[in-house]
Amino acid sequence: MSDAAVSGGGSGFLQKLPGAIPGLVLIVGTMVVIRYWIEPWMSSAVLFDQKGWLVKVVHLNYILLGIIFGMIYRNVIFGGKLPNLFVDGFRLSRLFIKTGIILLGSLYTVQAIVQLGAIAIFLIGGFVILSVVMVLWLGRLFSMDRSMTGVLANACSICGVSAAIATAPAVEAKPAHVAYAVATILGFGILTMFISPFIGHALDLTDLQYGAWVGTGILNSGQVLAASLAFNPNIAPGTAVSVAEIWNIMRVISIPFAVFAVTVWYWAGAQGNGGAERKTIGQLFVEKFPVFVLGFLVMVILTSIGAFGDVGMKGGPAASATIKMLRLWMTWIFGIGLVGLGGYIDVRELAQAGGTPLKVGLIVGVTKYVLALLVVLAIRDYLVAI
Amino acid sequence: MGAIVVAVDGTEASALALARARELAAQQSRPLTGVFVIDAGWADFIGNDWQSSRNARQGFLDYVRGDQERHSECARIQFSEVCAGTPDASFRIVAGEPLDALAEFVEHEDAAALVMGRDSFTACGRPSAKRLGKLLARRLRQPVYVI
Repeated sequence: MSDAAVSGGGSGFLQKLPGAIPGLVLIVGTMVVIRYWIEPWMSSAVLFDQKGWLVKVVHLNYILLGIIFGMIYRNVIFGGKLPNLFVDGFRLSRLFIKTGIILLGSLYTVQAIVQLGAIAIFLIGGFVILSVVMVLWLGRLFSMDRSMTGVLANACSICGVSAAIATAPAVEAKPAHVAYAVATILGFGILTMFISPFIGHALDLTDLQYGAWVGTGILNSGQVLAASLAFNPNIAPGTAVSVAEIWNIMRVISIPFAVFAVTVWYWAGAQGNGGAERKTIGQLFVEKFPVFVLGFLVMVILTSIGAFGDVGMKGGPAASATIKMLRLWMTWIFGIGLVGLGGYIDVRELAQAGGTPLKVGLIVGVTKYVLALLVVLAIRDYLVAI
Repeated sequence: MGAIVVAVDGTEASALALARARELAAQQSRPLTGVFVIDAGWADFIGNDWQSSRNARQGFLDYVRGDQERHSECARIQFSEVCAGTPDASFRIVAGEPLDALAEFVEHEDAAALVMGRDSFTACGRPSAKRLGKLLARRLRQPVYVI
């Protein structure tokens, strides 16, 4: 039996790089074609007697097209499975997104983070508690397996797939159950990723309102990023992505704490001693804390002390040339990363999601999504723009 | 002479399939081969998660591997118990994408038929395991019995 049977591959980054080139060429090439040819064509194409209908009405942009192309590669062209030739390149797309998030730190000063973060903590905290309580209650109502309930509670309340896989070993969840939770969360996330920009534009939401809504209401982090960039692909202080990602960072930071809380809940009611190793909050923090968040915070500090020149905050001096260059890079980095992420959306797996996890996930997901919109609209006068 | 291959996962889902495969092997005087697939697609399945730390991701994959190894052991025991005294019976573990791994195994062994439970591998696999029997029936030239 191979040790690497279900591993993610263990060799170093530089060793993997040559193998990643074919996949990267495909992903980068796709984004180049989208941005230089398809997007300009969409802006000028006349459909239904309207110039730029695809952009103005359907709200298609390079971000959504990138994800759609990634999905088409996997599910149509490659028949449901990424060919070995492209696997390492697609896997590297995750690094692109992490790098983009770190660079996103250049949109904020510490003061702006404190302003936005205060609202984010209030909203995120409230919705995390609401989602956890709902899942625990529904789990009992539907007689769902206790470990499955624990996984779904964190997946629905914190940040989707990351929270599910961080929680599963701690609560002895069966991987097959986790797979159903992941499929449910991803399926719902992808649906909301495509419909949220429509709703946002239809309701004439500002970037701040939209970012706060999707940052709170969409279950999975990848889809938060995509939905906010799909609403407004510009990357600057105050745009949808700058708001939504502060919300997302708050959710990511809370993963170790949420895993600990659910683990305590699980063991409090679990039968017998089980085989899982119980871990302290310190151990969980070291194991589960995503390091890229530290890179993001370092970037915020560097930006705050003026390391890259003026940031271009509202009412302040224009952004420096360095900051403008970083923002241009980010549009490419996110675009490329999201083509790769689209390549990991396996429609066959999502189509097979079902059973109680689907019921509970959908009830909580829809409630959170709608309620977050209502709350954001209700408190819109209290949201502070940066 | 090609064997009757039966997919075994150690659960109730494969018990009926195992009994049926044993009957077929006895009727046709063919060897009986049980097979369990270690699903190598989990890393790909969680590929959409870009933000987990390396430790969290690997911790989950190691946890899945442990679960798969437990299931493979249950499958081996189930096969040994049911096939005790059956001449020319053997049990194998293969790794890979379940659909490809099972199809390649059946073809490589030049098996006479594949027998599997309707819900085989759903207890330890990804959601797509539900359609495994149907997809194998379409792909293989050998008869596929989904019990």
